[in-house]
Amino acid sequence: MDYCPRASCHPYYIKISPGIMPPGSPGIFRRKSASSDEATLSSTLLRNDTVDYLKMSGAHVPWPNTKEDYDLKEVIGVGATAVVHAAYCKPRQEKCAIKRINLEKWNTSMEELLKEIQAMSSCNHENVVTYYTSFVVREELWLVLRLLEGGSLLDIIKHKMRATNCKHGVFDEATIATVLKEVLKGLEYFHSNGQIHRDIKAGNILLGEDGTVQIADFGVSAWLATGRDLSRQKVRHTFVGTPCWMAPEVMEQDHGYDFKADIWSFGITAIEMATGTAPYHKYPPMKVLMLTLQNDPPTLDTGAEDKDQYRVYGKTFRKMIIDCLQKDPTRRPTATELLKHPFFKKAKDRKYLQQTLVAIGPSLETRVQKASKRQPGTSGRLHRTVTGEWVWSSEEEGGLSSDEEGAEKPMNNIGGGDLSSGSEKDLTEIDGGTQLNLVLRMRIPNLLTYIVIEDLDENAKRELNDIRFEFVVGKDSAEGIASELVGAGLVDPRDIVVIAANLQKLINSYGNLVSVTFPLNSGIAPNETASEAALIGFAAISILD
Amino acid sequence: MLLTSSVSIKMPLFGKSQKSPAEVVKALKEAVNALERGDKKVEKAQEDVSKNLLLIKNMLYGTSDTEPQTDIIVAQLAQELYNSNLLLMLIQNLNRIEFEGKKDVAQVFNNILRRQIGTRSPTVEYICTKPEILFTLMNGYEHQDIALNCGTMLRECARYEALAKIMLHSEDFFNFFRYVEVSTFDIASDAFSTFKELLTRHKMLCADFLELNYDKVFSHYQRLLNSENYVTRRQSLKLLGELLLDRHNFTVMTRYISNPDNLKLMMNMLKEKSRNIQFEAFHVFKVFVANPNKPKPILDILLRNQDKLVEFLTKFHTDRSEDEQFNDEKAYLIKQIRELKALPDH
Repeated sequence: MDYCPRASCHPYYIKISPGIMPPGSPGIFRRKSASSDEATLSSTLLRNDTVDYLKMSGAHVPWPNTKEDYDLKEVIGVGATAVVHAAYCKPRQEKCAIKRINLEKWNTSMEELLKEIQAMSSCNHENVVTYYTSFVVREELWLVLRLLEGGSLLDIIKHKMRATNCKHGVFDEATIATVLKEVLKGLEYFHSNGQIHRDIKAGNILLGEDGTVQIADFGVSAWLATGRDLSRQKVRHTFVGTPCWMAPEVMEQDHGYDFKADIWSFGITAIEMATGTAPYHKYPPMKVLMLTLQNDPPTLDTGAEDKDQYRVYGKTFRKMIIDCLQKDPTRRPTATELLKHPFFKKAKDRKYLQQTLVAIGPSLETRVQKASKRQPGTSGRLHRTVTGEWVWSSEEEGGLSSDEEGAEKPMNNIGGGDLSSGSEKDLTEIDGGTQLNLVLRMRIPNLLTYIVIEDLDENAKRELNDIRFEFVVGKDSAEGIASELVGAGLVDPRDIVVIAANLQKLINSYGNLVSVTFPLNSGIAPNETASEAALIGFAAISILD
Repeated sequence: MLLTSSVSIKMPLFGKSQKSPAEVVKALKEAVNALERGDKKVEKAQEDVSKNLLLIKNMLYGTSDTEPQTDIIVAQLAQELYNSNLLLMLIQNLNRIEFEGKKDVAQVFNNILRRQIGTRSPTVEYICTKPEILFTLMNGYEHQDIALNCGTMLRECARYEALAKIMLHSEDFFNFFRYVEVSTFDIASDAFSTFKELLTRHKMLCADFLELNYDKVFSHYQRLLNSENYVTRRQSLKLLGELLLDRHNFTVMTRYISNPDNLKLMMNMLKEKSRNIQFEAFHVFKVFVANPNKPKPILDILLRNQDKLVEFLTKFHTDRSEDEQFNDEKAYLIKQIRELKALPDH
């Protein structure tokens, strides 16, 4: 081939999945019997022969498009509609990561998904996640990506905060500058491509064992854009994202936004690297929106408990954050301009990151054991068992509770709606600790889907929304969850009792009842007519499969 | 607009004098030629191609520090590109151009294509005289390394009726039925969106094409609906629904819903495991039922399954309570099927 440097030596360049496949090589077309394969061009070699041939000739084996060519290993990340595995590509004898997206559960359109994958495949930059290929396996889309064994920056932050005292800052300035400079280079490339990431945060910055920094997960988790970002901070039960990294203009949504939104998120990420969390991480989503829109931009000290808590961080760093976090997007620097900021003179090389981040981070194995529930950008615990069912694993969110260390209990394939496997358990008896996944479907004003209306107009159209949450039997109470929903600003306080009562009813009748619909105390808006079917003046709670 | 290449306007850029359009096009052409010959100096040629492509792209789009060039310069550039046959050459050699250069080709191409003089689109007129450009682009789906770049250009072309017509009415169009099913997901999906654009964008053109080629198109289409690839099945079913429900395609729709095999297929798809496919199948199935002049074979099938269908539909996707249109349609179908009566024998 005419280009494509040695893939195995320069992993960053392999992304050229285009380049490694000779034009028209077999394997691109989906043909099961190669003998009837006149459609696939000049080559008469069978797939496997091709593989051998390429091996012998020292050429590169293209990334294959059949699941048999990959060994799936441990789950390294889990989201609402996707699972990420470490994997091994047999023909290439190379490790990789495979993100399996369940297309039946994918709510956004296929076009949206395609757009995001094309965005990824049109990138060829060492600081942007390396995409190899993608193909369909039954109802799943498999994305084959470079495996970054260091995990996400968020994993490392959380690990370090558990292991050491980070009260006065998580990382030193040199580490922060080194990582962020790499991120900026990725962003600069991204923006020059006309793309916006929309979800820059520590959870989406991945590290390779060699200290490589890559921006991941752009938009394949387009949840943010659709108001379905599943990340959350301490609102443990609600499944609604905390827009801690979101720029004000993105929240307002009326003028649209551009790549400067990423610069804001970048600034928040800078704070996150120093303090371990985004500035408003303690607050429920609605509150974050209000604080972001009404207050002066956050700084390093916004979330500090003590004055001078973060005094180790100097003026240059603080100034850089201030530059990024300007409410007027036009005043924020571009990625290119920001790269020239004096703060990034402190940046060192990959080796340095190997010492300060990779070496101290949790090992892949640890992460797999402990945190296999979390994938950057999502909070979900849904993952797939060997038999192919989607199950939920136990509650575990770093830094939340003291019992998390020993709490690893893969559990509760409770199969309420599980049709595929004959459930041998008696379902009416549920054990304490069993986690139920529920959804509350009701109309809530637009306000709550991230569109902020200054004075909530009584007549504002109320959209149907699904609020997903978990209920751990024996640990959670219906009242507790109902009040949490109110606290998150999702539920009218007048409905707290009726929601709690019906939730309790559903839990009590578990096995007999999967859904309850009930009238709301808060009634209907003046321009509405109550309708149980259309859930106007009514809400429904259902147990998910 | 009759600017000749002898007119060269030099503009300062970063203090250096900039190449005129004629000069850049000439340099790019030489570099592409060298690349095509595949001499030993491939890397040098590649570098030259990339460098000059970038110059042209910056003339058209500007950079963060410079504005795009004036209309006069752009007109000159376009003229040079036509005269030199460079657009075709670039596409023919796309696989030899490096990664970023490929994207630049697509950007340059699309910009030049969109150029207008009053209501005229000179590049569209140009491509009409050189349809090989279109065929080369369509053929790009055969090659993994350039498929997406070609797709970007093809969809821009498909926006112009004259170009869409050439593509639709070419034998190569039927290759799309193969491209949309290739194993690499992003390529298959890209091909699908081009395919969809060609079949839906220009209503009259599309309706004429479908009517004229009904048998050939729908025999090919049947294979997509039966594909083993879940995404192909789901996407093609959705598009089928859109095509049939477009009033421009009335004749095609009437013909489609008169064929009992098509009805059987949809009834089977209603029962597929995938809820998304069930849902899309519903939107095709409803057209058969809503048809006021059902041919006898269709009526017979519906009558044979009358009770089962009513029962099935009553339980069908009952959780879509918020989708009023769906519920109305479902209720209507149930009513229609319940009230079906056999035709009197003659």
